[in-house]
Amino acid sequence: MAGTFATKRLGKELAKIHESLPPGIELVSADNFEEWFLDIRVLDSNPLYLNQIYRLKFKFSAQYPIEPPEVVFVKLADRPIPIHPHIYSNGIICLDLLGQQGWSPVQNVQSICMSLQSMLTGNSKNERPAGDEDFVRGNRLRPKDINFYYHDNDV
Amino acid sequence: MPPPNTPEEGLITRTAESLALTSISAPPATASSPPSAPRTRATSPDPNNRTTCPSRDSSDLLEIDYQILEYIDSVDETLLCPVCRTPFYSPITTTCGHTFCAGCINRALEVQPTCPIDRQPINKTRDYHRPPLIVKDQLDRLKVKCPNRGCEHICSREHLNAHYERRCEYTLVRCPDPWCNKRIARRHVSPASACMHREVSCRYCEQSVPLVDLNTHYDYICTGATTKCSDCDATVVLHRLEKHRLDDCPETIIRCKWHIAGCKVDDKRRTVLEHEDGCPYEIIGQLVKERAEDRKTIENLTDRLLALETERNETNERRARRREQLTQRSTPSSTSIYNPPRDRMTQDELLALEDPLLAPHFVHNNHHNNPDDLTPTGEASSSHPSRSSTWVSPEDYMLARFERLEARMEDLSKQFLETDAHQSMNLLQQTMALNQQLVELGSKVGVLSMHTNWLMNMQRHKHFQQRAGAVAAAAAAAGFSSSVASASMNPPYPTSMPPQPPIPSSATDNDNNIVVNVGGSFGNGTRVVPSPVGVVDNLPPRYPNGRSSRRNSEGREMPPRL
Repeated sequence: MAGTFATKRLGKELAKIHESLPPGIELVSADNFEEWFLDIRVLDSNPLYLNQIYRLKFKFSAQYPIEPPEVVFVKLADRPIPIHPHIYSNGIICLDLLGQQGWSPVQNVQSICMSLQSMLTGNSKNERPAGDEDFVRGNRLRPKDINFYYHDNDV
Repeated sequence: MPPPNTPEEGLITRTAESLALTSISAPPATASSPPSAPRTRATSPDPNNRTTCPSRDSSDLLEIDYQILEYIDSVDETLLCPVCRTPFYSPITTTCGHTFCAGCINRALEVQPTCPIDRQPINKTRDYHRPPLIVKDQLDRLKVKCPNRGCEHICSREHLNAHYERRCEYTLVRCPDPWCNKRIARRHVSPASACMHREVSCRYCEQSVPLVDLNTHYDYICTGATTKCSDCDATVVLHRLEKHRLDDCPETIIRCKWHIAGCKVDDKRRTVLEHEDGCPYEIIGQLVKERAEDRKTIENLTDRLLALETERNETNERRARRREQLTQRSTPSSTSIYNPPRDRMTQDELLALEDPLLAPHFVHNNHHNNPDDLTPTGEASSSHPSRSSTWVSPEDYMLARFERLEARMEDLSKQFLETDAHQSMNLLQQTMALNQQLVELGSKVGVLSMHTNWLMNMQRHKHFQQRAGAVAAAAAAAGFSSSVASASMNPPYPTSMPPQPPIPSSATDNDNNIVVNVGGSFGNGTRVVPSPVGVVDNLPPRYPNGRSSRRNSEGREMPPRL
C-alpha cells in the first residue's frame, strides 16, 4: 500500500481528474492509490498515430511524488503500443521526465500524460529504439531500475 | 461502519507519519498496532506498554495533519504547495522564489537537491527564507473543518490548533488510567479517571469489548443471540428486536400516521406505508397539526400577556406607593425642597441605578459619607434611615431624584428672573444719565453753529456793502482810461480768489474778541470785531447768497464759549 503522503497527494489529483481533464486524456480506472490506467490519444493528424488510442499504466510508489511513478504503455486488443524511437515494443518508455533525474515532485499524472502526448505528436520517425528486440527479450528489470541514457533531445 | 472515536484510527496513524516527517526516531507505541486490524485489541496488553507511564502534558495530543484538513471554500491555486497540492503548511520560500511546505521541500531535497520547479540547486535550510507575511495571512484566514471525527466545528486555520487542543470534545487524549496507553475522546473521559478501555464482555455475544465502544457494539456490531422476528421471520439480534418491531418490521401491525385525523386504517407496516401515501385523511391531518401548532402559539402568547399584565400592575402599585410617600414627605418642607447643587452623579449612584439590589445599601452608605447629598437640606437627617429603607426599587429612587431635580429647577429659574430684573434696572439707570448728557451736548453744538452762522453772515453783509460802494465809485470815474486800466487789474471778488493775506500772528486777542481778517482787494489789515456774546438774538435771519468766505470759516479758531 502506498504511503499516506502519496495517498493524500493522489487523492487530490484524482479529485481534480474527475473534475476535468485536458482533451485526449481519459481516466480508465483508479480503484486504488497504487495503480491507475489512463487512455491518451494524439490530437493532431500525425499519420503515425491517427485514430489510435493508447493505454497507459501508472504505478505509484509510497514515495510519490518525491519519486516518479512507473509509467508504461499497455498492449491490449484495441490498444497498441505506439511506434516511437523512445518507446520499446513492450511498452517501456524512455523519457527523462520519468527517470530519477528528470523527475520533479511538481509533476503529476496529468502533466505526464500531456508530456507523452506531445512526445508522440512531435515524432515523425516510424521506428522502434535501436536494439528493441534484444531489450524486449532480455529485460527483466522494472522500468525504474533501467539505466536509460537520455541522448536524444530532438523528440 | 467503524465506530466513531476509535483511538487506533485516524489521527494515530497520521501521527506516525508526521512524526516520521519530523524525523523523530522513536515511533509512538501505538503505531505498532497493525493498521489492518485497527479495532481488534490484543487480548492481553503488551507488557512493554504497561511499564511505560506516559507523561500527561498537552503535548500528548496527536498533531493535526494539515494535509488532510477539509477546507470549506475552494483555495486559490497559488496557495497550494506544488508538491503535496494542499494549502501550504509552515511554508518556506527558496532563494529562487518558490514556496513549498517545509516538510515537502525537505523530502524532495533528500532525493534531489534542486528546486522542484526550476531545478536550481538548493541548500537545505540555508536557502530557506520566510515567505511574505501576506502568504501567512491568507493561509491563516482559510476556513477549515475540525479534523476530529464527529466534530463539525468550522474556524479559520489559525484558530484550529487552539480549538483542537483545548476545546474540541472529540480530541483524542490519553486515557486517564496511567497504565493504559490508549487514547480516548475528551468527552468520553470518565470523571472517575477510570480507564474506559478496559474490556467488558458483551451481554449478548460474550465478546469482550472496550467499555468506550460498548454502545456502538450493541447497536451496530453485536450479532450474538439472534432470534427470529415472530412477525416477519427475519433474523434479528435479540436485544434489537424491540427496535426492529417499532421501526422496521414490515409485518408488525401499526396504525396509519393520520389516525389523529380520523383514519381508521391499521394494518401491517407494509400495507400501511403504501396506504399512507394517498391517505384521504392526510389533508385533515395537516390541518389538525397546524391547528395544534396554532393553539400552542396562542397559549404561549396568552401566558406572556398575563405575565406582562401582572408586571404592569405591580409597577403601578409601586409607583402609587412611592407618590404617596413623596407627597407625605414634601408637604412639611415644601419650601425647602432644594438640593444643593451637585456636579454629577457619583459612580456609586450610577451603579445603584443599574442594580436595584444595591440601591438601598448605597443610599445608606451615601448618607454617611455625604449627608447633604441626595437629601433635601430642610429635612432632618434623622429621617434618612427611614428613607433609605423605602427605596426598594430603582424606579422609586429615580422618581425621588426626579422630583428633587424639578424643585431645584424651579428655584434656579426664579433666581434667574431676579437677576434679570436687576440687570435691566442697572442698565436703565446708566443709559438715562448718558442720554441726558447727549442731549446737552447736542444743544450746545446747535448754539455754536448759530453763532458761527451769525458771524459769517455779518461779515458777508459788510462785504456786500463795501463792494456796492466800490462799484459806484468806479462807475463815476468811467471817463478816464487810466482808471479803466486799474479796474481791469482788480477784478471784482467773486470771479477770482484774491491772494491770501498773511495770517496775523495773534489771531485771538486777550479780550476774547475775534480777530477777523477781512481781506480782499478792499480790506486793509485786520479789524477787531466785537465778540458775538449775547447777539444771538440780533442774528440776521438770512443771507441772500449762501457763498461764505472761506478764509473766515477755515483759519480761525472759534472761542470755546458756550
